[in-house]
Amino acid sequence: MAAIELIRVTKTWGATVAVRDISFEVDEGSFVVLLGPSGCGKSTTLRMIAGLDDVTSGRVLIGGREMTGAPPAERRVSMVFQSYALFPHLDTGENILFGLKARRVAKTEQRDRLVRVAEMVGLEALLDRKPAQLSGGQRQRVALARAIIAENPICLMDEPLSNLDAKLRHEMRVEIRALQQRLGMTTVYVTHDQTEAMSMADRVVLMRDGGIEQQGPPAALYDVPETVFAAGFIGTPPMNLLKVEEVGGAMVIAGTDGPAVAEAGYGNLVLGIRPEQIAIADNSGIEGRVESCDYLGADTIVGVRVGSQSVLIRAHGRHSRPAGSRIHLHWQESEVHLFNDETGVRMAGVRPLPVAA
Amino acid sequence: MMRRLKSARTGVLALIAGLLLAPAAWAVELTMYYPVAVGGPLTKIVDGLVADFMKEHPDIEVKAIYAGNYNDARIKALAALKSGQPAQLSVMFSIDIYELIEQDAIVAFDDIVETDEERAWLDSFYPSLMQNGVTGGKTWGIPFQRSTIVMYYNKDVFREAGLDPDNPPATWEELVAAGKKLVRRSGDQVERWGMMIPSTGYPYWMFGALTMQNDQVLMNGDGNETYFDAPATQEALQFWRDLGAVHGVMPSGTIEWGTLRKNFLEARTAIMWHSTGNLTAVKKNAQFDFGVAMLPANQRRGTPTGGGNFYIFKQTKPEERRAAMKLVRFLTQPERTAEWSIQTGYIGTRPDAYETPALKQYVVDFPPAAVARDQLEFATAELSTYQTGRVRKLLDDAIQSVLTDQKSVEDALGSAQKQADRLLKRYR
Amino acid sequence: MTERTRLVGNAVYGWLLLLPAAVLLAAFTHYPAVATLAQSLFTSGTALRPAEFAGLDNYRFMLEDEVFWRVLENNVWYAIGTIPASIALAMLMAVWVNRRLPLRAFVRMSYFTPTILPMIAVANIWLFFYTPEIGLIDQIAAGFGIGSRNWLGNPDTVLGCIIVLTIWKEAGFFMIFYLAALQSLPPELEEAARLEGASRWHFFRRVTFPLLMPTTLFVLINAVINSFKLVDQLFILTKGGPDNASALLLYYIYEVAFSFFDQAYASTLTVVLLAALAIIAIGQFVILDKRIHYR
Repeated sequence: MAAIELIRVTKTWGATVAVRDISFEVDEGSFVVLLGPSGCGKSTTLRMIAGLDDVTSGRVLIGGREMTGAPPAERRVSMVFQSYALFPHLDTGENILFGLKARRVAKTEQRDRLVRVAEMVGLEALLDRKPAQLSGGQRQRVALARAIIAENPICLMDEPLSNLDAKLRHEMRVEIRALQQRLGMTTVYVTHDQTEAMSMADRVVLMRDGGIEQQGPPAALYDVPETVFAAGFIGTPPMNLLKVEEVGGAMVIAGTDGPAVAEAGYGNLVLGIRPEQIAIADNSGIEGRVESCDYLGADTIVGVRVGSQSVLIRAHGRHSRPAGSRIHLHWQESEVHLFNDETGVRMAGVRPLPVAA
Repeated sequence: MMRRLKSARTGVLALIAGLLLAPAAWAVELTMYYPVAVGGPLTKIVDGLVADFMKEHPDIEVKAIYAGNYNDARIKALAALKSGQPAQLSVMFSIDIYELIEQDAIVAFDDIVETDEERAWLDSFYPSLMQNGVTGGKTWGIPFQRSTIVMYYNKDVFREAGLDPDNPPATWEELVAAGKKLVRRSGDQVERWGMMIPSTGYPYWMFGALTMQNDQVLMNGDGNETYFDAPATQEALQFWRDLGAVHGVMPSGTIEWGTLRKNFLEARTAIMWHSTGNLTAVKKNAQFDFGVAMLPANQRRGTPTGGGNFYIFKQTKPEERRAAMKLVRFLTQPERTAEWSIQTGYIGTRPDAYETPALKQYVVDFPPAAVARDQLEFATAELSTYQTGRVRKLLDDAIQSVLTDQKSVEDALGSAQKQADRLLKRYR
Repeated sequence: MTERTRLVGNAVYGWLLLLPAAVLLAAFTHYPAVATLAQSLFTSGTALRPAEFAGLDNYRFMLEDEVFWRVLENNVWYAIGTIPASIALAMLMAVWVNRRLPLRAFVRMSYFTPTILPMIAVANIWLFFYTPEIGLIDQIAAGFGIGSRNWLGNPDTVLGCIIVLTIWKEAGFFMIFYLAALQSLPPELEEAARLEGASRWHFFRRVTFPLLMPTTLFVLINAVINSFKLVDQLFILTKGGPDNASALLLYYIYEVAFSFFDQAYASTLTVVLLAALAIIAIGQFVILDKRIHYR
């Protein structure tokens, strides 16, 4: 039985459609990330699960029970807000205990649970501080503790790390994931950061313009993107997406003379190839001119002009080539993804052609 | 170059001379404050009169400034005096006379008049209206918007109650008897009262009528002695209170000055005592046949006069005083007085005003207009003493405390008299 | 330039910046206060009798003045009657109109309207509410078979009537401050509380109310000052009557100053009023400041 199930859920604000007819399931104890650019409807979806926003049409099931229209308090979900939503006049302990007090949990139990949770998130020493006296990371932990202490089976997180600096974000990512696994909480996590999604999720639901673009384990989204959008959203740097045109019966990258990269007869295509899958050769393959070389330590991102388009290459080690110098690119045809140029949908039936070194 | 400079200089000089000479079209500028205490478009009427005056006297420019109620007008005039931008004359409460003398703010008309004709003019007003304007043998105020209290009654209601609408009560006993017939009750509720005497705003004024009817004045002519605890005064207050508390012809508690006219116009009371200044407004708005009568008598008939007088300020140049005289005389000409009386309901302040064709005709068409005049025969001065604000408030508080059953008549008036004595001792 | 001259230069610069405000403050606040205090030590002068030094005579007179004690007592009841009620009502209205409800702008506007109207106009309207027989209240009461009452003419009810009018006038004004404060509260706080199962009342008591405390302090001080300052309605409704039953301190000061022309005694009463207000304001800051969370 799924912990959460959304069935054909739609949300509109007047004439604007925020979420369009989406369905997905969240397995018990799993970590699901709602991923997408801002405005794609992922936060609205989360709020509909929480009951903070009403569903325009469709159904929300939680723990197998019909929860469409039920008040938030009945859904037994905790939530961590992007702004943390800490009560500024209450100290850490009171903030964490707010829900237990509201639900009139016995005083002794409150104390026990507080001690346990504070230790879990490392706040033992800060219980009598007000939020204004805490750092961003500490506030984040208070918000987390408040979500945990309710002992709800489900925890919803709305971009919880977006206000932290990069280093802290990485730490908290690991910690949240560990905590979630330790407590076995079913977690729905909203983010626009694909790195967070890839590193934390059991399952990613990629959203765009209020609809679901693709859902599946992170590896599936990386390996087999179903659309040009999914291909371009995941990976750093993202997948190169190159227009492919038919020139004299051969499908070549737009603006080049060849070689042919895919079989012809399917109209114009978009060819996707990840930067880490492109190799550099000196004199055979697809010709290009170096535009830039960004050395990152373990590898170098080389920007290359191919025909009328730019291609990024992740090359192992250090590379430095003068801008304007002529190089050739090639790749394994098995790493190539082909998409319909008009619909952006993956074309599984079309065969890529080898680009020899 | 030199020449151009010179011609420029001449031009500037001419300009300055022009600026200096321009006001010469009016030799004198006068500022006059005036208050409005009753309903009606009085400001328009005053503006009209002033415009007429300036047409007749192009050398005098008059700025007539509406200054609120009597209290506001006095405050504004005295404030202007202190600020060094004084008005030259003002209409103010007739009873402000002692205060204005003590502030050394006004000049007596005896000191301005020059000709015998002007001296005769001082004697052309009704003597009872002059009582509040004369003290120490000098005339300080000239009556303008003057009123008395009259009894307005609803003739339709009189008929309904079986009373003669042309024979309104003339004594206190008749008043109580009529009042009892005029009250209409439904169960515990009173739907219509027999009569109402207002007791907020100016309670001492209404009380002045009751005491005069009991043949007792409230103060002496020098304004330094009061008779608040005289037996006849006490009796008068007892009667006022008993109208509500014993006879049940009037509501108990205080009765609001400001809304009383509406009470009368909506026939919630059959009789009201109110200023003659309301006459025109009542005439315009009454949906029923109403009458106006003199106030009833006990020992005798009686009412205080009320309202505003002209005063001329001391801080004035001789030519301004003369111009102010001209303005006052213009506004108190029989014809203007008649016009003013017709338009407002205020009394024509001099007998010959009632001889003008306009007012003569008006009185024929609308006999109530003559009641106030006829009553002047029985009128007396309005309460006015040194420290008049304080003394007046002592009496107001005493009256209200009796009407609201907080104190007995004897206690209230006794204590008011004692405090008034303390205030006035140093003026004797 | 040495360090020393630089510091002196800075100080002069600072004082120059303060000068315009200081001049205005001195001319319109400090000088009148001191002059009032000085005047309270003299007799009232007229043109014919110049003022003389009187020491504390005016204060002695005040202590014996029954009317003074009466208006002071009235003022205390007026404050007790208006302040908590108007603040509570303001908070209630603000919380109510802060929610999504139909015609919200209209409802807010109508709550705020009494504030925009001049007090004199308001008092004239209410005069016709309270007036016996023909007044709105009596006419409604008559519909239920209740007899007429002389609201303003009875010393037992008149102050209550003034209090009700004042609350009606003031609550809308205070509501605006609460509304502004409520809108600056992040909506997530309420959402978080809803998820935690907190009732609306629990959330109000534990979160909204404490977070509104800075506003409440501000409003409270204003309300206290207004309870001494707001007397316009008396001019229209009662003139302090009957028998001073509705007179308030400032109205009495006005009467003494402009009806009795006793400026010395008016100054004396003003000094007392200023002292009372100063003590109250300082007390409020000291006591309440400790208990308020400022964001």
